[in-house]
This record gives sequence, structure tokens and C-alpha cells, in this order.
Amino acid sequence: MEGLNPDKERRHTGRLLSRAQLSDWAFEVELERPVGFMFSAGQSIRLFVRGQGRDYSIASGPSGTTLSFCVRMVEGGSVSPVLAGAPVGTPFSFSGPHGVFTLRDSPRPVVWAATGVGVAPFLSMVRVGAAGFTLLHGVRQLGDLFHREEFEAAAARYVPCLSQVPAAGCFPGRVTAWAAESLGPGRYDFYLCGNRQMVRDFILLADDRFPGSRVYTEIFF
Amino acid sequence: MTSLLSGERVPKSNERIEACGELDELASVLGALAASLSERQAEAIGEIRQIQGELLHIGARLATTPGSPTLDMLRVPSAGPVEAMERAIERMEKSLPPLQGFILPGGHPSAAWAHVARTVARRAERRVAAVAAMIPGGPPGDKPGVTPGGDLPFLNRLSTYLYVLARRCNQEQGISETLWKA
Repeated sequence: MEGLNPDKERRHTGRLLSRAQLSDWAFEVELERPVGFMFSAGQSIRLFVRGQGRDYSIASGPSGTTLSFCVRMVEGGSVSPVLAGAPVGTPFSFSGPHGVFTLRDSPRPVVWAATGVGVAPFLSMVRVGAAGFTLLHGVRQLGDLFHREEFEAAAARYVPCLSQVPAAGCFPGRVTAWAAESLGPGRYDFYLCGNRQMVRDFILLADDRFPGSRVYTEIFF
Repeated sequence: MTSLLSGERVPKSNERIEACGELDELASVLGALAASLSERQAEAIGEIRQIQGELLHIGARLATTPGSPTLDMLRVPSAGPVEAMERAIERMEKSLPPLQGFILPGGHPSAAWAHVARTVARRAERRVAAVAAMIPGGPPGDKPGVTPGGDLPFLNRLSTYLYVLARRCNQEQGISETLWKA
């Protein structure tokens, strides 16, 4: 029954160009971008390693010449250890772009909330010119706030939230706790990207405290 | 409460959520149908998998309110999947005897599953039609071609496909169709 296959399922190949450590548990990978591979900031690719597929939000901008994404190291995992150890030049197969976690025009103030490598799609949005947003950046400790300067330069308000090791200038707690304490009443466009618990807690908070808001989510497992 | 793809928080009783649930049920029943088919019916199994994928696209459109910028990210309904299904219907009908009357659903388990899937497809079509009816003419800002109504032809042809597939399943298994005797 030809005619039903969407083009986004087509496999692409990109060679590994570089890898950079972001923290002791995460790194950033840069692949060559296949000619004609188009995407919007906030979308993801599905990377295949030995038959296993993993979704990664694209962190690079849509006009960039390469594709980069942030990887959380999973000890004993099927994909991240391969990405961590592959030599430069290794070809990787992927499909995409996938997803609709993209920035929409809106009259409401925009609040992004990210945990861990969940900042990746927001990086892409910043690199395509997004500005004036509030970003709640939730990590465990100060050293995990990767790409902080890039976000601070574009954000109307950048709120680093440290859930485990407090540090000067950072909110001591989770992103949901900051929003509950400090976000004024109103209707917002919330973009939530990160672990399931954060997304679930934030949605409950939005329903309770910010009715009439829009909520867009991307869950990292 | 739950989220639409276009970001609005809506009650779980929302008609779009209800219709999405019907599509989810339909995709699941199609999975049961595919699991009941024989190895000789690999073509139908492949078709069912593609239909399940198409239902996800329809669900995404259903979960997006008209006028939302989210629509720009979604695939517009096209004639391709409908035409592909019509070709599949024609292919199966070529090997089937003409209908002699009303058929009672049943026979081989695979045929029975196809009939169950057909009835769920009909219900999903009704739910999607109900959502489409709430958008008379499409509201300002609606993207042409991207309304639930645009997906109705696919859902309509799907129940026909499943009816023919049910007959084909019984034929494949050598089981006679049971005609209704009034």
C-alpha cells in the first residue's frame, strides 16, 4: 500500500565530526548534516545503533551546517556508550526530523523548563533567534548547567535551579518549586522538556496555578 | 485534564480526546487483527501496519485545534493513502465471489477480528465526523485541508477495506460465509 510512508521515516547517514564533554554524565555529539535534511528548531532525530533507535533533540540551529545533540551517558546502555566511544568519521544512521516540539507564535509570555539534556531543543531555538523567554534550567549541581552563557544572552530571565548542591546565584530546588514560588499569576505558553516526573509535576502546577495556559511537552526517558 | 497537541489543557471528556481514544482503540484492534493473520497474508499485515501509522497522523491532526500554528508542523491529509487502500480493496475483491446477501460477522478468528476492527473504524469515523461538524466551514486562520473532515475519506474507506479483508480471511482459511436468513 504505497503512498502511506511519510518521508521522515527515510534513513539518513551522517559521519561523526566531533564530541565534547558537557559534564561528567553528558556529552555533545556533532554529526555531518546530510544535504537536503531540513528541520525546525525543537525537532528530534532517531539515531540507530545496532538496530536500537534512540530519540535525540537537535541542539544545533536549522541553518547550521552540522547536526548536534546532547547525550546522557547511560552505563550499560545500547546507544550512548557507542556514541561515547566511536571514532571521528564513524557513520551513523538516523531518521527524522520528528516531533512538533517547536516554538509557536503567541501573545502569551513564554516559559521554558528543562532538566538535564532537555535543554537541547531550547538551544536550537536560541540558535534560530528565539529571545525574550524565561528559562528554568534544572540540574543537580552548578557544573551541569551547560550552555548557560548562551541561554543567558538570549533569555529575558534565566533561572538556574540546582536540586542537590546549592550554589550562589542559583535557586536551591527544582524548577517546579521556583515556578510555584516566583512565577506571577497569568496565562503562559509552557514548553517542558526533560524527565517525566518534572513534566508531570509542572503540568499539575500549570493546571492549578496558571489556568488557560498552553502546555507543550517533550519527555526524555 | 490533558493536553492537546496544540497546547490547550482540556477535560478528558473533550470531544477531540474522545475521538483520539477511538483511533487508539482502532489501532489496537488492528494490531490484534494483524496478529491473527496467517503467514500467507503478509501483504495485508504490511498494509495494516501502514494504516496504524496513518491513524497516528490523523490523531495528531485531531489533537490540534484549528488555527493553531502547530498545524504547520503536521502532514496535510492527502489522497495517496485513500487511493492506496482502494487499490488494496480492488486486489482482494478480484478473488472473492460476488456478495449474495448480508453476511453474519464471524468465521475464522482472523475474519472475526477484521469485523470487530471494521465496527471500531465506523465508530471512530462517527467521532471524527462529530468533531468536524463543530467546525462549520473552518474557522478563520484554519489551514485549508487540515480539519478532521479531511480525514473522513480515509476512515470511510478503511471500514470497507476491513469488510473485504474479513471475507478474504474466511476464503483463505476455507471457511464458508454465513448469510443472514431473514
